[in-house]
Amino acid sequence: MNIFRRELKATRKSLLIWCIGIIVMIISGMGKYEGMSVSATGQSMNELVANMPKSLQVILGIGTFDLSKASGYYGVLFLYLLMMATIHAAMLGASMISKEERDKTAEFLLVKPVSRSFVLTAKLLAALVNVMVVGLVMWISSVVIVNNYSHGEYVNGDIALMMAGMFILQLLFLMIGAMIAANSRHAKRAVSWSTAILLVTFMLALGIDLSGKLDLLAYVTPFKYFEAKNVMYGGGLSKVSVGLSVAIIGICSVLTYVGYNRRDLNM
Amino acid sequence: MSVSVIELNQLTKAYGSARGISNLSFTVEQGEIFGFIGPNGAGKSTTIRTLLGLIKPTSGSAAIFGKDTVQHGTEIRKEIGYLPSEVFYYDHMKVKDLLNYSASFYKKDCRSRIKELADSMNLDLNKRINDLSLGNKKKVGIIQGLLHEPKLIILDEPTSGLDPLMQQTFFELLEQENKKGATILFSSHILSEVQRLCDRVAIIKEGKLVKLEKMSVLKADSYKRIKLETTAPIPLHYFQLSGVHELEVKGSMIQFLYKGNLNVITAKLAAIEINNLWLEEPDLEEIFMHYYEREG
Repeated sequence: MNIFRRELKATRKSLLIWCIGIIVMIISGMGKYEGMSVSATGQSMNELVANMPKSLQVILGIGTFDLSKASGYYGVLFLYLLMMATIHAAMLGASMISKEERDKTAEFLLVKPVSRSFVLTAKLLAALVNVMVVGLVMWISSVVIVNNYSHGEYVNGDIALMMAGMFILQLLFLMIGAMIAANSRHAKRAVSWSTAILLVTFMLALGIDLSGKLDLLAYVTPFKYFEAKNVMYGGGLSKVSVGLSVAIIGICSVLTYVGYNRRDLNM
Repeated sequence: MSVSVIELNQLTKAYGSARGISNLSFTVEQGEIFGFIGPNGAGKSTTIRTLLGLIKPTSGSAAIFGKDTVQHGTEIRKEIGYLPSEVFYYDHMKVKDLLNYSASFYKKDCRSRIKELADSMNLDLNKRINDLSLGNKKKVGIIQGLLHEPKLIILDEPTSGLDPLMQQTFFELLEQENKKGATILFSSHILSEVQRLCDRVAIIKEGKLVKLEKMSVLKADSYKRIKLETTAPIPLHYFQLSGVHELEVKGSMIQFLYKGNLNVITAKLAAIEINNLWLEEPDLEEIFMHYYEREG
């Protein structure tokens, strides 16, 4: 309990900053929808997008969304929200484990009468709470803000589904970060590696959309698992994606515990 | 029968390079203050970190309180207090909070003990860690290592950063703990402090045990520093006999280290005309240097 509490306290400030960032992102993002739907009719927006080159559509993440509706606009915004939430999770997972070595406090904490597994569990639980808070803030502020612009369109169902998908990906990247930190001999590089993996898989997801082929690779990048365009419009969360995510989270957890228990700590 | 508190059995930690320790074996008995001496990079910290389970031995084993350090690390560490050579703590915490956090790992009420130790070391508990000087951080480390009244205290280069007065207080604290029954492993490259405190010393160099000796034996039995002034220059070979080391002749001034039968050397001295004579206990520093030179 003491490590868990201490970690919650230590991450409090950065968590607050992330939450504010998320709320600002949603407000400013949906604010642009309001601006657009006033200046141009939604239909002309859709035409404009349809005339864009495909690559530009992909990069902007617009694709198949109906931009005349708040839900469609939120679907575009979701990609960026997902990016934020997963970057937070990956960095948190990696730094939560590696910071004792980075700050040279390992010689304090790990000589206490606690096993390494105990330390890991306490830290991962604290990270889980952080990730859940980010998810909840995302969810609540999305519901409140999107409903503000939706003109009566029902959006809460789709938002809930997207949030569920996001939460799974948050956990996934949290554990990838933790796994890297638990196995890395260089504490300072663990966070960079985690974010690098995240960015590479993100780029890969864009690449798959751009090429229109490479369907098999879609299993490699978690950003293809719960895309807004598939989740919305009655698609829901694909069973394969959920299964794959759970498997990756499970494997990462095992590797985290095994690696951290086995290796020498750096001082 | 006395129980060994620490028992190293062919303990080896190999790194890629020359660092590490190889086949280290010695025991530290209940109630001892045990000096662990060697220059920087000799493997003192590596040994200690292996004992604490921070790093894993490549081969061999170690037991503390009769329990294997790899198998029973968590249990063993309940009764260990450790002061690392460099103290790093969570910068944004207050001293008080850090010490309470540290105490929360032991199932004891340590509040009065923290207060007592802080008073004796003259440390302000309300300051933040990152506002502390190196010496004050070290004090936090000392309190942190002693607050749960451990049965085994492991100190890695404990005096760096402490001023001489504080060092005095610290040594008194250690002697008190020792009287109460704590065993102490004291690693250092500063030999004078070991000389004062320790019952026995292990000297290591390049990861290998060079010498394991009682402090009294090491100090008394081994070497004498002999310095003399003669009326007339003496040929160099006059003192070249077994047991004489580091012979130095500067005109009529002669000095050397001697280990062996004292009657032999006094007979030699009696046979020449002497103006002046100094017979000194070499300090540990000299003994130490000597071991290193010979072994190296």
